[in-house]
Amino acid sequence: MSPAAERVTFENLLWITACLALTLLAGSTTLPIWVIATAGAAAAIRLTLAARGRDAPPRSIRFVIAALAIGLLFWQFRTFNGLSAGTALLSLIAGLKLLETRTRRDIHVVTLIIYFLSLATLLQGESFWLLSYLIAVCWLTTATLLRLTSSSRGGDWRGSVRYAGRILAQAVPLAVAAWLFFPRFDSPLWRIPDTGGGAMSGLSDVMSPGDITDLAMSDEVAFRVRFSAGTPPPQERYWRGPVLHQFDGHAWSRTDSRRVRAPVVLFQGPAYEYTVSLEPNQHNWIFVLDWPSRWNAARGALTSDYMLVQDSPISQPMDVVATSYSHVQATEPLSSDMRRSDTQLPTGRNPRSLRLAQQLRSAHPDDLDFVHAVLDMFHTEAFYYTLSPPLLAQDSVDGFLFDSKRGFCGHYASAFAALMRAVGIPARVVTGYQGGTFNRFADYWILRQSDAHAWNEVWIDGQGWLRVDPTSAIAAERVEHGLNDSIATGGPLTSRWQQRTPWLTDTRLRLDALRLLWRQRILGFNQGSQEKLLGLLYIPEPDGQKLALALAVCLISGMSWLTWQVRRELKPRSRDPVNRAYERLCRRLAAVGLQRMPHEGAETFAARVAAARPDLASTVSALCRRYSALRYAAASPAAAAATFIAGVRAFRPRRVRPGRVRPASRVRPGPH
Amino acid sequence: MTISRRRIYIIPSRFGMALALLLVAMLIAGLNYNSNLGLAFAFLMISLALVAMHHCHRNLLGLGVDVTAEVDALAGEQASFDFVLRNDAGVERCDIEIRCDQATATQSVPPNSYRHAAVNLPVERRGVVRLQRFELRTRYPFGWFRAWTYVQSPLTAFVAPAPRGDRSLPSAAAAGAGSHSDLRGDEDFAGLRAYEAGVPLKHMAWKVLARGGEAAVRSYTGLASQPEWLDWSALERLDTESRLAQLCRWMLESDAAQRPYGLRLPGTEIMPARGDQHRSACLRALAEYPSQANP
Repeated sequence: MSPAAERVTFENLLWITACLALTLLAGSTTLPIWVIATAGAAAAIRLTLAARGRDAPPRSIRFVIAALAIGLLFWQFRTFNGLSAGTALLSLIAGLKLLETRTRRDIHVVTLIIYFLSLATLLQGESFWLLSYLIAVCWLTTATLLRLTSSSRGGDWRGSVRYAGRILAQAVPLAVAAWLFFPRFDSPLWRIPDTGGGAMSGLSDVMSPGDITDLAMSDEVAFRVRFSAGTPPPQERYWRGPVLHQFDGHAWSRTDSRRVRAPVVLFQGPAYEYTVSLEPNQHNWIFVLDWPSRWNAARGALTSDYMLVQDSPISQPMDVVATSYSHVQATEPLSSDMRRSDTQLPTGRNPRSLRLAQQLRSAHPDDLDFVHAVLDMFHTEAFYYTLSPPLLAQDSVDGFLFDSKRGFCGHYASAFAALMRAVGIPARVVTGYQGGTFNRFADYWILRQSDAHAWNEVWIDGQGWLRVDPTSAIAAERVEHGLNDSIATGGPLTSRWQQRTPWLTDTRLRLDALRLLWRQRILGFNQGSQEKLLGLLYIPEPDGQKLALALAVCLISGMSWLTWQVRRELKPRSRDPVNRAYERLCRRLAAVGLQRMPHEGAETFAARVAAARPDLASTVSALCRRYSALRYAAASPAAAAATFIAGVRAFRPRRVRPGRVRPASRVRPGPH
Repeated sequence: MTISRRRIYIIPSRFGMALALLLVAMLIAGLNYNSNLGLAFAFLMISLALVAMHHCHRNLLGLGVDVTAEVDALAGEQASFDFVLRNDAGVERCDIEIRCDQATATQSVPPNSYRHAAVNLPVERRGVVRLQRFELRTRYPFGWFRAWTYVQSPLTAFVAPAPRGDRSLPSAAAAGAGSHSDLRGDEDFAGLRAYEAGVPLKHMAWKVLARGGEAAVRSYTGLASQPEWLDWSALERLDTESRLAQLCRWMLESDAAQRPYGLRLPGTEIMPARGDQHRSACLRALAEYPSQANP
């Protein structure tokens, strides 16, 4: 019987089940619940059977269960190609494999699946903790494998875990070297469709404030920004996201504005240079400060409404270095297409608002005056800012302006744009982020999902697009709790518990600084970083070939180190410090050509050394005499051992050239 | 004998091959998704496999092995080779599998220690089984690799015939059925005689020795003390193997009864004696006796 065909014990079954459970736990956020439930049920059934000393269920039952589960999976995903579907399929197979586990070979298959599932989970995740957790799970899995292979390791679980840990630790240096120098590719080798829907978070390209009754403020980080030259004041820190043009009377949505070239503008005001570190999301929007002039995103392009987009979703953490100006001056009139789309209003909707706009317009014929009049209205009338507004009917602007008068930035931006359009002023809604939290520990800004904001842009003939933030017009006393907005309060507002526990806020900021470091140094490690690394190693003009060479050198020296390290443990080493010191003494003398013969005692050896090297005579004979005393005298004080060890440590015999003898060695023997 | 570096071979096992495929898949996945964490994990696993390979190789490196090169056995039973595995290293050597032909034994040796392992080689037929070498194998630690080495050390098993035959001992046949009690000669103490090598320990006169006297042996009267001659020529009308089987049976009976016995085969004569060495010499003579088909 081959070793792989041997039956497994209940204990091993239990451990491999635990390892699989821990792996699935890490992937539980992306896996369908029923896959985890099926795997769990299969493991539970198998363990129950095994505990009663029974074998796996018959083949026919297993086949039916497997066919059903895999069919269901295909029905849900429609494909097995792609990360989510593939991961789910593997999880399912691992669970079902447990059901039929009888021999070691079955467990071997499960360990391989655990390794691959860990990798698949890592491809979707990015945190340091996830990596550490999955490495720990693999450690346990490997320890299980050790127990499975080794018949001699009876109940010694701790020993197995320790040994597997040591092997894992020895694997780290080589892995680090390979990771640093293995060539990276800019684009994937081939594209794998990913149909598995991750949850959408943050902004979307539809804004329908009337449908939201409770705006959840997520602390999730959208992106981080580091300004390299000058930080703009709060009223300039608007991070531009999707621009919405289409209004149906109730909600705003985007039109495809990619086809049209971005209009040329004249940049004015101070320029800000900064690095945006984007978190991966489902969209292809690159958030930049209003108004971007330069950026280094290779696949980024401006739309006609000055939004920076990429041709594919931002699936990896990405750094973009960009320059923006606070003001722009249009150099050409608004195109008729854009004017049409930005003055469009659905006919017959929001009639009360239209009438209000006409009334205001008659008092304020100038466009800018009209804008201020509307803002004044928001300021003086009883408009409230709240995160829990009432639901609005189909004519959402009418409902908001005349009935509820309560809402958040989306309501104000929507109503403002509608009022502008009602009198023929081109207006649009810009969504994005505003403000941010400054991290003083690492000098950058954190923009969270709770910093999401919506504002407007109006076209003023002769000037161009002008940013207007109607939310900021609300009187401070009418701002209800929960507003994390610096515009309304004139400074960063923190929630009450954060004010009470400043150290907690500090800790959070410090942690976030570490997270940014992790993101940039580890997650964002790429060809450029490798070139920088080679530069640090004084390798001129780094290129791919030199990288491969560095990789080869690292691998060869890593393997040599490994061989040395692994064999070193074979050498018998004395546990006794006195013996170790004596061995060291003999090694040092051997290095200068005085090899102790195996039969030679300490004092005989010392006599021979004295004859060959008179300069070393006094030291060596003193040390050897002391060693003999320590070994053979009836009782010796602990201090004597320490003196001996120190004496050996300080003893460094020099190699002499023929014909020249140094007068004395550096070490003077201590008192006996 | 110590296993040196040059004699150790190592290849991935089937499980190791599967792991290698998986590692390649992991690397490609990491590269394809351009995921630094995925790559880090893939490299860690690849590196883990390489370290495991070194540990597998090390498990045999420098291992000392000694073996009793010649053993006796009876046909139809097992030849038991006694191996001693010496571990001078500071780490445990686990799951060393010793293979002689098809027979195996597995043993682990703690650091700075040694362990015995017996490989029981089944032997079917009378004769001499010679192995030119034996194999040491290990799959430790994870079963991903298989390291092995051949130790060129001849092993010999002298396989005596399985004891068979229904004839009674020559002495019993000569004395007739009536004097059966004489066979139990042990009980009738006759006196002391000088010590000679090969005498069973329980026949030693310990009290005499303790009093400071010469080493002496108690001797016994009766036919039991008379040497038994196990003679090939006494077994006419039988073929060679049956004769040898009968001789073997007589020999083992005499040995059990602790009577001195001698063995006469065509061309060989072993003088009567007792003890393990003598027994071994007789068994070997029986094992080495050429068979009829192939003299």
